[in-house]
Amino acid sequence: MRKLEEVLQDWEAVIGLEVHAELTTLTTKMFCGCKLEFGADPNTHTCPVCLGLPGALPVPNKAAIESIVLAGLATNCDIEKHSMFYRKNYMYPDMSKNFQTTQGPIAFCMRGHLDLEVDGVGAKERIDLGNLKPGETGAADSTAANVTRTEDGYVAHVGITRIHMEEDAGKMVHVGGGEGRIAGATHSLVDYNRAGTPLIELVTEPDLRTPEEARLFMQKLRQIYLAIGISDCSMEEGSLRCDGNVSLRRRGTKEFGTKTELKNMNSFKNLHDGLAYEICRQAEVLEEGGIIYQETRHWDPSKKRTIVMRVKETADDYRLFPEPDLAPYDLSDEFINRVRAKLPELPDEKAQRYADTYGLSAYDARHLVDHRVTANFFEACMDLTQGDLAKPLANLIINDITAHMNADEFFDLPTSPLTPERAVELVKLLADDTISSKQAKQVFTAVLEEDKDPAAIVDERGMKQVSDTGAIEVVVDKVLAENPDKVEQYKGGKKGLLGFFVGQCMKETKGQGNPKVINQLLTQKLGD
Amino acid sequence: MDLHTLGIADLRRGLRSKEFSATELTQAMLGRIEALDPKIHSYLEVTKDSALSQAKEVDAAIQAGAYDDLGILAGIPVALKDNLNLKGTHTTCASRMLESYVSPYTATCVQNMLDQGAIVLGKLNMDEFAFGGSTESSAFGPTRNPWDTDRVPGGSSGGSAASVAAGLATVTLGSDTGGSIRQPGSFCGVVGVKPTYGVVSRYGVVAFASSLDQVGPLARSVEDAAIALNAISGRDPLDCTSQHIDTDFTANLAEGVKGMRIGVIPEFMEGEGMDDEVRDKLNEVMNELKNMGAEIVEIELPNVHASLSAYYVLGPCEAFSNLARFDSVRYGYRDPGHKDLNGQYEASRSVGFGPEVRRRVMLGSYLLSSGVYDTYYYPAQQIRTLITQDYVRAYEKCDCILMPTSPYTAFKLGEVKDPTAMYLSDTFTIPINIAGNGGMNVPVGLGNDSHLPIGAQLICPAFKDENMFRAAAALETVYGSACVAPDFEKAGA
Repeated sequence: MRKLEEVLQDWEAVIGLEVHAELTTLTTKMFCGCKLEFGADPNTHTCPVCLGLPGALPVPNKAAIESIVLAGLATNCDIEKHSMFYRKNYMYPDMSKNFQTTQGPIAFCMRGHLDLEVDGVGAKERIDLGNLKPGETGAADSTAANVTRTEDGYVAHVGITRIHMEEDAGKMVHVGGGEGRIAGATHSLVDYNRAGTPLIELVTEPDLRTPEEARLFMQKLRQIYLAIGISDCSMEEGSLRCDGNVSLRRRGTKEFGTKTELKNMNSFKNLHDGLAYEICRQAEVLEEGGIIYQETRHWDPSKKRTIVMRVKETADDYRLFPEPDLAPYDLSDEFINRVRAKLPELPDEKAQRYADTYGLSAYDARHLVDHRVTANFFEACMDLTQGDLAKPLANLIINDITAHMNADEFFDLPTSPLTPERAVELVKLLADDTISSKQAKQVFTAVLEEDKDPAAIVDERGMKQVSDTGAIEVVVDKVLAENPDKVEQYKGGKKGLLGFFVGQCMKETKGQGNPKVINQLLTQKLGD
Repeated sequence: MDLHTLGIADLRRGLRSKEFSATELTQAMLGRIEALDPKIHSYLEVTKDSALSQAKEVDAAIQAGAYDDLGILAGIPVALKDNLNLKGTHTTCASRMLESYVSPYTATCVQNMLDQGAIVLGKLNMDEFAFGGSTESSAFGPTRNPWDTDRVPGGSSGGSAASVAAGLATVTLGSDTGGSIRQPGSFCGVVGVKPTYGVVSRYGVVAFASSLDQVGPLARSVEDAAIALNAISGRDPLDCTSQHIDTDFTANLAEGVKGMRIGVIPEFMEGEGMDDEVRDKLNEVMNELKNMGAEIVEIELPNVHASLSAYYVLGPCEAFSNLARFDSVRYGYRDPGHKDLNGQYEASRSVGFGPEVRRRVMLGSYLLSSGVYDTYYYPAQQIRTLITQDYVRAYEKCDCILMPTSPYTAFKLGEVKDPTAMYLSDTFTIPINIAGNGGMNVPVGLGNDSHLPIGAQLICPAFKDENMFRAAAALETVYGSACVAPDFEKAGA
């Protein structure tokens, strides 16, 4: 199979996402008063309504409606004042009523969008930006019509078709077939605790073109849902789930290809890698003259491939019709405004504020708000410095802290030894040249490991940086005297040797020489 | 004393004055059921023990002089259609599917009756899942009409009507989706009320067609029906289609019809689509109302002829979906020996459901399928809107409309074999469910030819149910309260 970068030269990938979020921050189910609780004993949070007993009727959870309106407002959707619940009829034992209550053609939230800032390596997956200059948007009839070039990448405008409200099904456990699989099972058990959990499903337009864009969309959506507090958004536990629809078309053609639906992408990495694999697989099939079948495929991260789950020969007939037990839902302006007033500062707004208030670059500001914990940490630091040292603190957070978070999934910044006070102290030691940046990294690690203040660590280890020109000059002279051949070569034009001299000087000062001062003296003495 | 012939007011008087105790009353009724019900089979389950223990509690209050602290139905013997959940009783819907199903909870309307002190004697026979007009489709055998046991009691609330007509309960509850309270009321000569949609909570009522179903009382007098409706009506937080109701349905029973405007449809008065004796009775009733001072107004309902078509689309569609939960997985009949899920579904539903249920479920499944939906379901909803508007316009000219309940009197068991012919017996009742208005049957004597009960139907604007009660009470002054069917009046324990 060819690599993604190569495949995307010849093929344009068309990707749409369907994202389910469980409204885990609510206390009760969608249509009854049963408690929402993960991990309770099977069937202990059930009642006649969520068990689908004869005669039971649904009553909508108003808090859930508020959550979906909040989600719609936060993703630039139009809020439909008049919408209805529908019944989606199909039989399966995890559905106690054998229909799922969902919404019809008009959902609570319609026609939204998110703008994705794509930069770094990920931006390279997009190959149709060729001649665009920063600030320019692709021509309306081009494949880059929804894209605006930026200094370090581009912004993609991604349409959201709708966000609708629905209920989750129960959970099935198959017994006797090994690993809980249905094949070979002797019987199945059903737990209806999850039945009736409020779900919101967001459907995007087929506006995404690269796996990286899909990954960023999910990341951004997750940030937003966390910011508005409607879900704990755990992709691992399944409270945030994503299916991807992907098809290919030859570069320069307009007609959509046959799409496949991808499931089991329960992390950002799996979402990216699953889509990337599927794009390459489809390209290979098409290039060999084969046909893509409309089917549901399962991403297997351990084998790094997608496998067929189900072939859709005909469209499923769910016999959708308006739910007669629930009156049409009318939202008042007053209600919508009340919800709007509850909108917190969203990640985009926060990034803008960081840029405006602290003079950070758009890149830095955006990456600070990638995680709520890093944004909160940054703000705590800014409170301590009254806005000073924003750039070096942002660097510390984006580079060192984020790398540490990525490397250690159990690392919890708010409870770690690295307090905002210590971070500010560390950055100050670096800023006033007390320590070098190399030493700063050592201090950072030591703070986390030893739970001590940076100044104490610097004292204990005698790490103070030598910036005294006289003391350094002695070292510089010594190094130059010991390497006359290299000095000759340097003067002969081999300017790259400067690094060698700096290294030797650092070694002589046991790493405590101020590199800036060393540099300065070296260039002076070598006659530049 | 013939306690089984008395209405609520007389029974309350007797209980309060200790002329008889609640236990004696309950025992008398249970004795009659034991002796006489085998002739008509109106009960599917008799809740003897719980009825007697309820009666004991009422007697304790009477002894303590606290009878009037109890509810309006304290000590009154009632019974429930078997699609109403009462915790601890079987709720079978007269289906094999639910033969062994025991309710773990109680319907709101039933709880309201209990809260008012009613004594529940048992659960009543019906057409399977309320699909039918004769109670012949009950999986447990038909109910017979107390006026002539060769004849059907109507349906689907056949047990609810027959038990009242036979003096085996004072008041019963039925449910009405297309005429299922009114038509058996007419066949058995008792009062049967289908209130406006939303007056009574549907929580705990096994659904047939959610947008059409409504629970209502059957009784031998207009007053008893009104008292029972007072007990069960009102907003229920568990049913979001129920409405806040503060009407006292007994308030205007004595007012008479002077000054009331009663609408009639000329074609119906001429007898279109009904037996001659029904037509004659209808004209007689109209004249009686006129004589009592009502103003008779001719009205038209131009789209009402499409009601039956719309009903037999909407009803099966909703029923298909509502009955999907009977899948043998959690409860209900499970056909043994199936290794795969679809085999178990198919066999359990084929055996557990009778032919009329299977017919309507298949019909609904077809009508909702893609490509067909736009041809049937969608136009049916449009027709529904047109019919509702027809009624709204008609009610600008009148307070109440008079029409027959059924085009004919009770037919013989097995006489109507073609399902579509059976569907036609609801011609005059279905439009009222489609429009969501209130309607009721009032017995107006026997037919000249058949010598069987004939009912007049009074219908009213949505949430003006007091209008039809008022006109019905006036007719009762002419025709008298419904009586216990002759063969059952003196017979029994």
